[in-house]
Amino acid sequence: MTAPEPNPALRDKYAIAGTGTSRLGKVPDISSLGLMEEAAANALNDAGLTAKDIDGLLVRGPDDSYTFHQLVGERLGINAGFSTTTANGGASQILSVILAVMAIDAGLASVVLCGFARDAWSRTHRTEQARIAGATRSAAMEAHEFGPEYGLFGAPAMHAFGARRHMHEFGTTREQFGAISLAFREHAQRNPAAQMFGRPLTLEDYLAARMIVEPFGLLDCSLRSDGGGAVIVTSTERARDMKQRPVLIKGFGTHNNLRGWFDGDNMIRTAAGPSGRRAYAMAGLGPEDIDCAQIYDCFTYMVLTQLEDYGFCKKGEGGEFVASGALRMGGRLPTNTAGGQLSETHNEGMLQIVEGARQLQGVYGGDRQVAGAETCLVSGHGGNTVCHSSLILGRA
Amino acid sequence: MAGDYRKPIPVPAPESEPFWAAARAHRLEIQKCTSCGRFRFPPAAHCPECLSADHAWVEVSGRGRVFSFVTYQRLYNKGWEGEIPYVVALIELEEGPRLLSNLTGVAPGDVTCDMLVRVVFDDVTPEVTLPKFAPA
Repeated sequence: MTAPEPNPALRDKYAIAGTGTSRLGKVPDISSLGLMEEAAANALNDAGLTAKDIDGLLVRGPDDSYTFHQLVGERLGINAGFSTTTANGGASQILSVILAVMAIDAGLASVVLCGFARDAWSRTHRTEQARIAGATRSAAMEAHEFGPEYGLFGAPAMHAFGARRHMHEFGTTREQFGAISLAFREHAQRNPAAQMFGRPLTLEDYLAARMIVEPFGLLDCSLRSDGGGAVIVTSTERARDMKQRPVLIKGFGTHNNLRGWFDGDNMIRTAAGPSGRRAYAMAGLGPEDIDCAQIYDCFTYMVLTQLEDYGFCKKGEGGEFVASGALRMGGRLPTNTAGGQLSETHNEGMLQIVEGARQLQGVYGGDRQVAGAETCLVSGHGGNTVCHSSLILGRA
Repeated sequence: MAGDYRKPIPVPAPESEPFWAAARAHRLEIQKCTSCGRFRFPPAAHCPECLSADHAWVEVSGRGRVFSFVTYQRLYNKGWEGEIPYVVALIELEEGPRLLSNLTGVAPGDVTCDMLVRVVFDDVTPEVTLPKFAPA
């Protein structure tokens, strides 16, 4: 059986025509659904559309919500030719964009709203009980054996296994993880909407922060946030008649290491590798052609390994790459230019699609703008890094 | 169930009952496909290699290495109150399968990747025994 090839005919055929975000950070007066409405309304306004123009709805909410797309469609008054809720964790948001393209190409929709919203901060702070539990998913969704009886709880530990093994095999250091945290925090100082705006960070702060699950300390872990984000996907032809400069979808790819994070080398050679190769193939580009990146940063280490897996440096050299300043504005690959999930807001990767698109529209200017950016790679992974999706955006 | 054991008790799926029954008898048994000979873990109804449902529960050497490990410095569950820091390790058995466990007889700061370990059995309640690992 020959391996399937990504279809290059899709390159540049579809585009992002609008972007929107809700209020971000700590927004206790609104639910996940409300945050989704807010982001969707802003994306529609950005594109110069109304909800009546939408015939595809691909949205995701908190892990414990059921058929979130139905709830969102009801509130926004949308009947859609194509609609579902994606369930690939942090890989879901790029997957929604991919599904939007596939649905439009198949003739099932023409203008698709993709979005994510979650009240992750508020739901863990509304009551004292919730604050202690700190859970963003229900107990029924957790494992019942081969984990909790040994004290395995939470996402930090799962990813920390990979960080520890990478440190062992390649000599990667906590200072190098710190360079990732610091670069994104610096970017957040240029973004007034970021949760960590006005709170700059030094390497000393990073190293002194309390440990959570070693080798991760507090500043290796992404934020707990309320927030929503949305983008409008349509044909490039149609997008050219809308209000904003379109952002071209040049390529995309997915890969799912369904045998698990603990299988083989998956924790140090992630699904970003094959997912990225498919995206590069569709786009006709390689890592050398990428001007900036929005890399899914649930934890610092995950950025480091993905940069290797995407080919920005060799496997094992990610530590040196990030410590060289490559991820900072003006560096080889300005990354998570709004602050990422470590310093802007944790929005399961949705805001990273929004940020990639806006950088290529050139909306920011000044020191917030990646000068001359023509391409941006956006990544997402979820389900403890089993599922991965990649998106390459281009300036129209 | 014992009155003062405060940690979660495994809730076995039907496919994994034999694993826990063997542990109660202080044997580490892993599912082995009797069609192609492949060991598999976690337990499953069919062999992921050849799809055969035929299998046996086979006692393994109990020897392995620490593939990776994490050290909890934050309390997630009250069952571990007073036991921070503690280590959760991913053990790769000589026979191939990997399973999560705890390490005994070694301080958290002395654990390393690839350190050799052997199984020990912790009878946490009269009904439940957890396979754990100690330096070999």
